[in-house]
Amino acid sequence: MSIFKKIFFIDFIKGLSLTLGYEVSKSVTMRYPDEEKWAPYQRFRGLHTLNRDAQGRELCVACELCAKACPTKCITVVPMEDDKGIGISDRIAKVYEINLVRCMFCGLCEDACPTTAIRMGRDYELACFSLDCAAADKKRLLAPREIPQEFEGGYVVMARLERNKEGINIKPDLTRKKRWW
Amino acid sequence: MDINTLIEVALIIVKVIFVSLILFTLPIPLTWIERKVAGHIQVRLGPFRVGPHGILQPVADMIKLMFKEDIAPEKADKWLFRFAPLFAMIPAFAVYAAIPFGDKITIPIINKEVTLYISDMNVGILYILAVGGISVYGIILGGWASNSKYALLGGIRSSAQMISYEIALTFSCIGVVMTSNSLSLLDIVKFQSGTILGFIPNWNIIYQPIGFVIFFIAALAEINRIPFDLPEDEGSLAAGYHVEYSAMKFSFFMLTEYVAMVTASVLAVILFFGGWDAPLFMPEIPIFWFVAKVGFFIYLFMWIRFTLPRYRYDQLMSIGWKILLPLSLLNILITGLFLL
Repeated sequence: MSIFKKIFFIDFIKGLSLTLGYEVSKSVTMRYPDEEKWAPYQRFRGLHTLNRDAQGRELCVACELCAKACPTKCITVVPMEDDKGIGISDRIAKVYEINLVRCMFCGLCEDACPTTAIRMGRDYELACFSLDCAAADKKRLLAPREIPQEFEGGYVVMARLERNKEGINIKPDLTRKKRWW
Repeated sequence: MDINTLIEVALIIVKVIFVSLILFTLPIPLTWIERKVAGHIQVRLGPFRVGPHGILQPVADMIKLMFKEDIAPEKADKWLFRFAPLFAMIPAFAVYAAIPFGDKITIPIINKEVTLYISDMNVGILYILAVGGISVYGIILGGWASNSKYALLGGIRSSAQMISYEIALTFSCIGVVMTSNSLSLLDIVKFQSGTILGFIPNWNIIYQPIGFVIFFIAALAEINRIPFDLPEDEGSLAAGYHVEYSAMKFSFFMLTEYVAMVTASVLAVILFFGGWDAPLFMPEIPIFWFVAKVGFFIYLFMWIRFTLPRYRYDQLMSIGWKILLPLSLLNILITGLFLL
């Protein structure tokens, strides 16, 4: 049998047919910055978001529990009185800053939050050229995100690479999605 | 000198220029195809960013190679180092003087019959094997002149490999020469036209299966493709004989390698697969079938490259001397018995 195998190159042909099978199979490459982008699952722990309620009021009441719970002490909260109805109560955050260099994205802040104001979002492109963007201020945390919270995630979505003066932005198109494998 | 001779000479010059141009530009699509094949076999995409599906990647690579610094090591033998790529390249191109790409075609407008080969040598196969064998000098000289131990080892390996596999390669061709009774490639192809039993193409692969297997394995070793690419073994010799080369000199070596691969495919097609003979009642289109078959063989070489691991050096030698050489002699013997 083994001599038969050797004469007719059986193992060699098996190997070739295996590689041919892989050649015609779909590739697993994600064409990440150019055409595709990974939209993470909802459980993903990326850049934090500060949420608003249905009326558009800030949910954060500046109780500072997140800052207390933070193991790396990267959250700075300065509360202030407010009677204009910006927040859900008369106490809102004057300063809400997360030092992203120190943050280890453990998610303890969202566990500690009594009003579900702070949630881990799904932005993961946090690299930048200066340390300025390493501190996420309140404005940035409140801004709406490209992947909304309701989006299911766990897909590769089509995306468009945009270059401008500030840097590179990869804009996802959430309607065109596909499973990675 | 009359006008007809002048036209003939002009025609040959045009053909030579045309063939050289094609050979010079051939590595551009071939590198792209090779990288694509590699990518898809490894479940990747291969080059994708320069041009649609990365099709301009080899052009970008070429521009990069042109503008790279041309480095010669301080203690290298400068002259040999400079001329080694040419020594490798010229024989690889010279081989094509004897290779027929088709029979005759009539050019429509000037209504003149043109042969699709530069010359029909009556010792074509001998010429190709002999001139193709010279190509190894470039590799040896390049390895020697670099004054680097890796390059030298690559050169030495290359010479040993060439010597052992050249014999098996030549012997496997002898079987074909015996059946078709000619050394001319044109006659060999003409001998293979027609069919057996009405539908099987009358190709030499039917009569010479062992010969073809030996030829194919020996050709893989001759052109330094992967199961036998010991001269440029990345794992143990970094890059073998072209370790010290950069820029255009390096690209000449790469060009040689690709041209040699095309030569091996062309030879396999002419000797064993009927040249431009159309298979299975397909219509005869000039050059098309020839190019299609050669393309298949080039693809096969790439396919094998990304399937098989590299042989060890002692395995390479024992395959060459202990298996291929006796087998090729046996093949000649069997062919001779059948011819009697």
